[in-house]
Parts: sequence; C-alpha cells; structure tokens
Amino acid sequence: MKQLRSLLRLKALVAPALVTALAAAAPAHAGTMMIGTYPDKLFTIDDTNGAITERIQLQAGLPTSLRLSNDKSKIYVTTITTSGIVVLDSATRRILNQFSLNTPTTKYRFMGGVPDPTGRWYYTQLIRFDKEPDRYKVSKPLYAVIDLQQKKVARTVEIDPQDDTLGGFRPTFALSPDGKTLYKFGDKVLVIDTATLKVSDRLDLAKPETTGMENVAFGGGVEALQNPNEFVSLFNASDPYVHAKMFGIGRFNLTNRTFDFTPIGPVPTGMAGLEVTPDGKDGYTVVTNGTLGNKRCEFWHFDMATNKVMEKAEFHCRSRFSFGISADGQKLYIHGASYDIEVYDAKTLKYERTWDLGADATMAGLLHLK
Amino acid sequence: MKHLKPINKKAQKIEETITSVEEDVVALQQQPRPHVPMGCTLSFSPGWEVDAGGGTAGLCQPVERDIYDCYVTCFWPVQVPDHVNYSPDWASNCAAATKDWRNLDLVFP
Repeated sequence: MKQLRSLLRLKALVAPALVTALAAAAPAHAGTMMIGTYPDKLFTIDDTNGAITERIQLQAGLPTSLRLSNDKSKIYVTTITTSGIVVLDSATRRILNQFSLNTPTTKYRFMGGVPDPTGRWYYTQLIRFDKEPDRYKVSKPLYAVIDLQQKKVARTVEIDPQDDTLGGFRPTFALSPDGKTLYKFGDKVLVIDTATLKVSDRLDLAKPETTGMENVAFGGGVEALQNPNEFVSLFNASDPYVHAKMFGIGRFNLTNRTFDFTPIGPVPTGMAGLEVTPDGKDGYTVVTNGTLGNKRCEFWHFDMATNKVMEKAEFHCRSRFSFGISADGQKLYIHGASYDIEVYDAKTLKYERTWDLGADATMAGLLHLK
Repeated sequence: MKHLKPINKKAQKIEETITSVEEDVVALQQQPRPHVPMGCTLSFSPGWEVDAGGGTAGLCQPVERDIYDCYVTCFWPVQVPDHVNYSPDWASNCAAATKDWRNLDLVFP
C-alpha cells in the first residue's frame, strides 16, 4: 500500500496528462467495428447505421477473442471450436495466418492472449486435454507461448495456484514494448518474465469486480487507447487506513512497472470498464447495484478532466451484456448474450434503436477499425 | 501444528494423515481455488429453470439469448452439450439461437 499512498499524491498531476494522452491516441471519427459471431464468423459493421459490411468466415471456428496489435495493423483472433488462432490484416481484413492447435488426441482451451511485438509469439494461458487409451488427462492451468510460425505450442509453465484466480475465464494480458515482460491483470497485476514464464512480482491493484457482465472488451474503450508503453484501465484499490474499496483510473507503465492511480469513488456492486470519447474529455461506464431480479443498471458519465461523475441514467439492462462506445464517442452500445446491439445516445444517455445482426455475438468483444 | 515437529514414527504418521487430508479435501470457494478440470462435467450451477438465487428473474429473457455462451463456457453442462469433448460443432447450423434454435444439432448420449 506504500505504492498506493504515493499514487494518491500524484492525483492532481495525472488527470490533465491522462486527458491529453487519451485525446491523442483515440480514433477521430466514426468508422467500422468488428465483432465475433456464431457459429464461425467475424462481422464488420458500419457504426453509423449498424449495417453489416463484411462476413468473414473462419475455418478455425467460433471466435472468442479479438485483439489489435499495438501498431493497429493486425487483428489477432482466437477460436474455441478447434483452438485456433487467426491473424488478419486490419486494413484489408485479409487472413494472413490461421491454424488450429488441436490434434485428434490433444485439445487446448484458451481465450485471448497477447502477441509479441515481432508477431512471432503469442502469449496466453491454457488448459491441455490429452486423450489417452483409457482416460482423458487434463492439465493444470498453464502459461503458454504459441509459435505463430511453427503453428504449435512452444513452451508451457504451470500456473502457481495462488495466481489462478480467474478460473476458466479470460485474463487480460499486456506485454512490455521489448517483449521481455508479460503482465496479467486480475485480482492483482502479475509481472511475468517471458523467458521463464515465472511470476517475478505481484502488485496490489485489481481490475474492477463485475456481476453478471463482462469487463470492457479487448480493443474497446480506454484499453484500446493504450500506447505500446502503457496500459490504461479502471482499477480497484483500497486505502491503507480503513481499507475502503475505491475505483479509479490506473495507468500502468509497461516498461518500468510503475503505475499512477487516480481514485474516483467508492466501488459499487459491479462495474463495466471505462469507455472514453476520442477527445478524451468524457468517460462512460455501466454501474450495477443489486443482483438477479433486483439488479439495476446505470450509465455513469464522467468528466475526465476533473474525474467527477456528471450524470447518471438508469436503463433496462440484460442479465448479461458487454458495454462499448462508438468510434466517434457519440453512441453507447450494449451488446452480447444476444443477436443485437442496443444503441444509446452518449449525450442524453437515452435509448435510440436496436441493430439486428442476425447472429449471436460471442464474448470476443468489439474492435474499432479504421 | 506449525510449532510442533514430529520426532517419532507415530507422530510422523499423524502429521502425514493431517497433511494428506488437507491436500485431498478442499472447498471449491476457498482461496486459492482448487484446480478443477475444464471438461463440461464438473460444473454445479443450476439449470435453465432457476437462477443462482432460486428464481427466474436473473435469467436471460428469453433463455435462448444465453444458450451459446453457456455452451462455450460449460456453464450449464446438463442442458448444453460439451463443446470440449464431443460437440464442438453443435452450433454450426444456427447463428441466432433465439430465432432458429430448431437448427441446433441433436446430441444423444
């Protein structure tokens, strides 16, 4: 918590810098977004009217994660049907590489990961299933390096039980610009040496807790605005005196492993990730309180310069959903666990319309493409 | 027991027994969580009829909205096939389960 105390002192310094950085990195206008759909396709969607412009079929099956490379030139997709990886050119959407890790006797299960800067390696965590003559042998959770040229798992290391807190759900990974350090964001920030796949440090800063909804998707919102040297997201932390939990904006430097934390307020029951407009001035999230039939959902609108909540508006939410924002920051999206996207106006926080995709969206998230 | 060390065979056996019990019997919610193989056979969540609170208000409406993510995550393994071991193509003929669930593949045990 000594780190946290020093971070709090940085609050006043961080806010203006954050706004400037976000404004510089964000997309400038409405454009095309990509979403994974059942049973085996990627849809590109015109985010001005919801029209589906491309349907890209994947031989590797159902897409379960999408991620843009740091230079935005490539899209990395993982699939679950055949445990595949597909690499696409983000400008042309042409498939550059695709393969499956499964064999008749060995299967893998993984969702998401991060490519290294060279595009040769893909870091993830997975579970391996071996079909033996009399039984299935199931591995413990493993950190893994996948060779995208050889199209196979190159190295694995068993995950320490204390770090396996995410169960079978997807972790959030980031890689240092030099490719030497892998970061895993969950209950703590884990610092992993890519040469050995061993955890070298554990930092007390947690991703927000969620109830019945996904965290902000890979490639969406403020996490998409990262520069190669920085990971920006909502985090939870507790103060060192009375241990009251609060949420705020954390900026994690991937090179020197330092982070700045700007607290915003007490932690609600559940919270989606932070989505930020291209000019960096306005931030949005979805806050839930209560559970099951008592669950209530609200959009929260933040002024990013002052880190204050400006408006709240309740809306009728699904039992499970993902939260997104349009590339121009004018619309808010509620999608997932369905075949449609509900569109809300970001200024008024009012419902506008629903786009019917004709296919159920996967939990792969939503990417903004140029 | 941290302050005591066994110095004879009987004490060593007692310690071994305690250690073996501690390793074998673990609660699913304790931290760190025990390793549970990720086939679709070891999930104890309730079925379609009720949500985690025993009611229905927490379910997706209609429930077909949620069928695929339950399939992929093995969340309701009794009602939804096991995509890991024997039904990877269960959804291959049905893009939107709410609209055309009749196209879902039939699975026979």
